[in-house]
Amino acid sequence: MRSLIQLSDVEIDSLIREPKTAPASLLPLRLIERNKHRRKDYPVSSTSGNEFVIAVRQAVPNPLNFSVILMYRVPGYNTLFRLCRYNGRHGKHTNEIEGNKIEDECHIHKATERYQKLGGDEEGFAIETTRYSDLNGAVQCLLADCGFAPPPPNPQGNLFAGTTP
Amino acid sequence: MNMGSIKDDFKKTVCGQIELNPQGDDRFLVATPFRFSDGDHFVIALKKEGDGWVLTDEANSLMHLSYCMDVDVLEDEGNRKEIFDNSLSLFAVENRGGELVKPVVGDRFGDALFNFVQALMKVSDVSFLTRERVRSTFMEDLFAFLRKNIPPDRIQFNWKSDRDASGKYPVDARINHMRRPLFLYGVPHEDKMKDVTISLLTFEKWQLKFQSVAVFEDLQAMQKKPLARFLDVNDKPFSSFDDENKDRLSDYLREALEEA
Repeated sequence: MRSLIQLSDVEIDSLIREPKTAPASLLPLRLIERNKHRRKDYPVSSTSGNEFVIAVRQAVPNPLNFSVILMYRVPGYNTLFRLCRYNGRHGKHTNEIEGNKIEDECHIHKATERYQKLGGDEEGFAIETTRYSDLNGAVQCLLADCGFAPPPPNPQGNLFAGTTP
Repeated sequence: MNMGSIKDDFKKTVCGQIELNPQGDDRFLVATPFRFSDGDHFVIALKKEGDGWVLTDEANSLMHLSYCMDVDVLEDEGNRKEIFDNSLSLFAVENRGGELVKPVVGDRFGDALFNFVQALMKVSDVSFLTRERVRSTFMEDLFAFLRKNIPPDRIQFNWKSDRDASGKYPVDARINHMRRPLFLYGVPHEDKMKDVTISLLTFEKWQLKFQSVAVFEDLQAMQKKPLARFLDVNDKPFSSFDDENKDRLSDYLREALEEA
């Protein structure tokens, strides 16, 4: 069981809000399929020198089961810290500390100090959302919420190409 | 509380939270109280297959594992693959190209569900076998060592080439004023080793003149193939940063500085 607090709530909020540039290759999404899920990780750097990764996942049997994750590479640590995760509909989620359940709806996970103290995953807390209903919508929400400059215009005019069969 | 009420509470808590929600033709979502350590419940769907039924995770378990580990390692030989494979075989769960499936024998739906849940729990535990999230002071210690052993006018930390406008290929420490400057990297984990491999190949392509030195926190923890690729492009590796190797590194750096 982990007990170490890697990042405080203030640090988490600051990292999420920090200005970043969306990777040029992010949109339209072109994911690689392996093990019956599509995925791709996009490195993101910021002017501060902090290193982030946007990880995109989508299950092939159920394309509504997807995740868009903003991760942060904590200097000196071996693993990536998941700051927030925009999930699709994969079934229920339970907030262990608050005791409430989210039914089969889109929800946004966010890292917190209290869930790190609990010893579970840092982003164990989630709130239900109706702001998006598909993978591309989740990507747009993450970009809007996490300090990203607007993505470059798409020359093909089809933001949603190459994501779902 | 008597034994009867304890039993009733167990039944109410465990069984009461199991729901069967129809979703499409011959497909049901099985809601259970069992979940990953991030609070997301296991994905379990009941589907008709031929004349029978199967429980499937609809490829969710491996996708979920991929949030925190490289799931491709489950295809390589090693402890994690062994534990993953054993978790499935123990409960007669099939891995169909990334989708975990438990056929229901006859009408034993309850037995199949319990077995499937136990398999998913063991599979999700594989993530704990990945690198410990323990703070390493390796890079700080290495930088402190370099500051102590190299005059400040001979070293630049986090150096970037003029060719590298976007700063994608930083060098941890560039030791200069020599015929071929030393590009020194600390390698605390495999991701960094892969990044350094790409950087060194890029520098080769740019025809930069340099010699590369890599100090591993633990070379033996690296996977063989990525390590082999790295060693092909790196000039001088140090397998660890223990006291013995610190002496070797110190001697190596002193000779390099004197040769300049």
